[in-house]
Amino acid sequence: MKISRLKISNFRSIKEADIQFGAVTVLIGTNNAGKSAILEAIRIALTRRWGQRGTGFTEYDVHLCDGRPDPKVGDPVVIEVELQEAVADEWPEDLHSELEDIIQLDPVTDRASIIMRVSCSWEAAEESFVPRWEFLNVDRNPLAGRGARAVNLQEFFQFLPVFYLEALRDVTDEFSSRSQFWGKLLRTVQIPEPLEQKSKRIFDLLNRRLLDADPLLANLATGLSHISRVAASDAPGLADLRLLPLNTWDILSKAEVIYQTEGGKPWLPLARHGQGVQSLSVMFLFKAFVELILNDLYRPESTAVLALEEPETHLHPQAARSLWHHISELPGQKIVTTHSPYFLQHVPFREIRVVRVEANGTTVSALPRQFRAPVPHVPQIDAIIADSAGLITYDRGLNELVVSGALPQNQYRSLLMAYGGRPDTQAIHAALRKASDASQEFISDAELEQLETFARRIRGEIFFARRWLLVEGPSDYHLVHGIAKGLGYDLDEHGVAVIDFQNNGSPEIFAVLARALGYPWLAVVDGDAAGLGYIDRITARKFSDEEKARRTFSLPAGYLEQQLIADGLQNELKAILVSFGNAGAANFDDEKLITALENDKSGYAAVLAKQCAENPALAQRMPEPFRNAILALRGLT
Amino acid sequence: MIDSALSIALSELTEAQRVAVTWRDGPMFVLAGPGSGKTRVLTTRVAKLLADTPDRSFRVLALTFTNKAADEMSARVTALVPEQERRALIGTFHSFCMQMLQQHGSHIGINPDFAIYSLDVDRQEILRDAIKQSGLNQDDVRLLSTIDKLKSQLVQPAGSARYFRDPSDGARVEQVYTAYEAALSQANALDFGSLIAQAHRLVTDFPGIAGRYRKTYAYWMFDEFQDTNDGQYRLIRTLAGEDFRNVFAVADDDQIIYQWNGASYQQIQRFRADFSPQELQLPTNYRCPPAIVAAANRLVVHNLQRTAAKQPLEAGKTSLKYSDEQHIRVLRYSTDDVEAASIAEGIAKIDPARWGEVAVLARTRYMLEKLQSALTQKQVNAVISQRRDDFRSPQFLWLAAVLRQALRPLDRRALETLTGAFNRWFGTDARIDLIITATELTERSLLDEWAVAVKTGLGDDFNGNALVDLAATFAKEPERFRQFVDAVLAMIPAQDDEASDIAEDRAAWSDLVRSIGKTIGRNAPLEQFLQELAIRSKEAPVGSNTVTLMTIHGAKGKEFDHVYVVGMAEDILPSFQSLKAGENSAEMEEERRNCFVAITRAREWLCLSYADNYRGWSKQPSRFLSEMGFALPDQPAQ
Repeated sequence: MKISRLKISNFRSIKEADIQFGAVTVLIGTNNAGKSAILEAIRIALTRRWGQRGTGFTEYDVHLCDGRPDPKVGDPVVIEVELQEAVADEWPEDLHSELEDIIQLDPVTDRASIIMRVSCSWEAAEESFVPRWEFLNVDRNPLAGRGARAVNLQEFFQFLPVFYLEALRDVTDEFSSRSQFWGKLLRTVQIPEPLEQKSKRIFDLLNRRLLDADPLLANLATGLSHISRVAASDAPGLADLRLLPLNTWDILSKAEVIYQTEGGKPWLPLARHGQGVQSLSVMFLFKAFVELILNDLYRPESTAVLALEEPETHLHPQAARSLWHHISELPGQKIVTTHSPYFLQHVPFREIRVVRVEANGTTVSALPRQFRAPVPHVPQIDAIIADSAGLITYDRGLNELVVSGALPQNQYRSLLMAYGGRPDTQAIHAALRKASDASQEFISDAELEQLETFARRIRGEIFFARRWLLVEGPSDYHLVHGIAKGLGYDLDEHGVAVIDFQNNGSPEIFAVLARALGYPWLAVVDGDAAGLGYIDRITARKFSDEEKARRTFSLPAGYLEQQLIADGLQNELKAILVSFGNAGAANFDDEKLITALENDKSGYAAVLAKQCAENPALAQRMPEPFRNAILALRGLT
Repeated sequence: MIDSALSIALSELTEAQRVAVTWRDGPMFVLAGPGSGKTRVLTTRVAKLLADTPDRSFRVLALTFTNKAADEMSARVTALVPEQERRALIGTFHSFCMQMLQQHGSHIGINPDFAIYSLDVDRQEILRDAIKQSGLNQDDVRLLSTIDKLKSQLVQPAGSARYFRDPSDGARVEQVYTAYEAALSQANALDFGSLIAQAHRLVTDFPGIAGRYRKTYAYWMFDEFQDTNDGQYRLIRTLAGEDFRNVFAVADDDQIIYQWNGASYQQIQRFRADFSPQELQLPTNYRCPPAIVAAANRLVVHNLQRTAAKQPLEAGKTSLKYSDEQHIRVLRYSTDDVEAASIAEGIAKIDPARWGEVAVLARTRYMLEKLQSALTQKQVNAVISQRRDDFRSPQFLWLAAVLRQALRPLDRRALETLTGAFNRWFGTDARIDLIITATELTERSLLDEWAVAVKTGLGDDFNGNALVDLAATFAKEPERFRQFVDAVLAMIPAQDDEASDIAEDRAAWSDLVRSIGKTIGRNAPLEQFLQELAIRSKEAPVGSNTVTLMTIHGAKGKEFDHVYVVGMAEDILPSFQSLKAGENSAEMEEERRNCFVAITRAREWLCLSYADNYRGWSKQPSRFLSEMGFALPDQPAQ
């Protein structure tokens, strides 16, 4: 069983969010974007401790904004967790039976789902924020009868224990006898009674010998016996010195992991190793915990949900890069936050969630395979579904229309018609429009596959950028960096990723990727046939004319070298070529100059870029489309 | 692993009972006579199935016909296997369907928080409104019983016309039925018949849901299977599909007395045909003295509509209070009045501490009312015990209606009830039509307007004003209904002119709260509390020093030390209708089963009485008396 979707309203930085989850889901975003709020939402929703302080919500958990300055007034905090089988009977039989009363069924595909909602608002009568857990039916109405009994919650939690590993993992805490994993592991160790007795006898004997070995120790014990005279007790007490453990638990509870980095190095306790080793060890401790005792502590069918913050903490880039593999192999469902481009390099695109904080609060973007509209089932849509060759389905376990690709206009219109003339037509049409619009941003597996192949090198970096600037090749890459610096807008400082798409795939993939994941983007291409072709390919992906005008720039004089010449930069370019040892370049005519430049594209561009960076006046003379694009980057949405 | 309570229970079973209890897989049909321990067989089997499979998570379903029987069964299962009790779903057909619709009803457009209309007055009101809105004939309100009949046969409104010989009759019924169902659905409400009919529709339209029930509930048990009607049987059949075989039914074809409600020997025959069950008989009667068992056997062989190979009852009771010839008395009186007075006199002589173990049974209410006044004259506590769909006292009627109004602020029926009840309670004269008009002007809620209207009539009545304020505050926070109920209960007087109604209702209320709490938990929200309240009888539990007066139908499944069956005369038992239908009619056989059920309620002693004259008409003694082989008195007793 795993969480398939989480909907959050009015929780901390999040006004509204709707996030789908897979076996591993990776959240990225700047500090304070809301990544931890998502993990916390899961933790609060799936761990309820009756009468225990610190569970549920506090006033600090309510999303505040200009329209809502007081957490006690306004809409409730709502967290909705959805779990659904991918295929019928994916969940174990015992889970089905145990959770029977809260399970909802898609009676057509027989897939089971569970929808749980936690909501919380200020209750004046109770003078506190009162949380309320309930299971919902497919229409998102609370279940009644047996499905509403509180006991369901405890059983449900048993199947889905949540573990939270914070960014600051302290090995001495995690490996203490009171910790969530280590302590529980140690407590399950069973020492056979005879061995326990024998150990105790040996400890006693050794202890006595040690005390006898030096009179100082014996005297110390006698001295301490005076405690009983001071303490207000009638019965005379005794004090003794214990140099050895009293029992086997004393030994076990002091057990510690020692680790040798490589042969020949000393064995050292974990706490004496570097931070990276310590951080990693906690993750592997979790793995051991789940594999060894989770099912005894919870249920054989339980799935651990691991909320893992910044697994790359303190790790060398190489180690961070290989971490994905280890994390995806951890048991259970993993929800990971990261700030590491190296880690992200190996995360499949579909698993990435980009978390941002915007004017209206936190937003979450992803590249879903499916787009869902919460509309009721009506018989009229069955024919549309049947004709859609699998593109459209209806999920009766969650009562949602599901579109698995870009929804064509004609089918969209048929759907609108099917829901016409109802009292709730307006709301349904709005939901359909939203799903249809979102589906236009669909990126197929084939295209993502292509990106996996070509763009691995840059993907880590571009997802941490704030804006994308698409250019054709390396010379443009160098040049825009230099020009921007010369114009006082350092691209690196402002989080702009420049993507030279010729080496990394095709421009339209980056454009749709940027759109789907919410990265503001611009493209500057050559004005020749190839360059204009790029713009056509981009706009063919359902970008409006307005978007095209706003986001794409082309060099009017043709390709880059032609444009530089057209902008009268012959002298500067010739000087560069001469500096490269091409003395004859000083006398080249334009045509020859262009040819010579083309033969050494990145070479001249790097030097020219450096000159621009140092010389604002020169930067101002560079091709206008570049300068306009750089200007437009500021405040780009 | 079998815990001790269960192993004791198992060791106390007879051989035949043990065979039934240890039956594991496959269909089984148990023919169990009265007093043969069938409830014990059912509960022990549930407990054993669960105890034998502590590591499995499948559940066991046991359905019966009254909430009381279900409560008793689940209490017993809990006592036997406390740690496995969660895995048992024990309820009535209606409560089971209610749960199914609460969980999965949205697939056929039913919200989980539907209201249940259990009162005919409410349903008539709904139908009247529906007819008015659809512009149909006002007289068609009387079609409600026709609608109920269609529903009990699982006929949906669309196409219901074809069930009528006359097409214009059919078309009219279909229109009215359609309007009625639409109105129910508009009000987010279901009536009793819809619970079964809609559950059947759900599992028929979505076989996947039936499949889920087959998977989760590995064993099904049915108590009093002979009372199953056509709709209930077809629901079971659809749920079971083609492959499910673990059905276990306990029935007595000699106790079918709900034929008028659709129960029929046919259902037993269908079960046999559809499931080909193993059959087991439990003929030994551990309840009645041998004389009564013999009389019952002599009586019931006159019926033909019963299992051919059915064994006669065997007397299995070992400790008898009286000697053999003292177990049955047959008394004859001159008139019904004398009969009632003399029986009352006899009861008055019994030690009052044992009145709780005395019952007077009659075919109809008429004789029970006579007996009640006769007993009251002799200062014997006696109540007529029967299912009550609603409370009696204005106080509790008001309380229940306010709860409903708070949950459904637009519910006019609830407004009518609470207004009427409060007017009766405090002598106010608030008028519903004025309240409704006022809300249209002020846009306040019905309850708020009622509060305004009623306060003008209350003057400075402290309690009345306090109650109105309580109700108004409560309506704004319906989730705090428990506090409201407690506050109102504290203000309902212990006695007034209608003291006995208040006392009975109060006892019924606390019984209901206990029973509901056990089913859905003590913290269940208001809408579920009201759903559970609606499907339960509001009858007060009979006190320990009180004689129970019951119709034979109401006595089914019950037992008493001393049983008086009164009105043993032709035209009464057997009824006038059955005599009209003929000596060998199905109706006559049902009357005979009524008699069979009546006499087998007695644990120690049975008194059968008749008069020569009822309501001024002379009557012959019941044929059943001679069929049972009794010599009749020559003269009426004085």
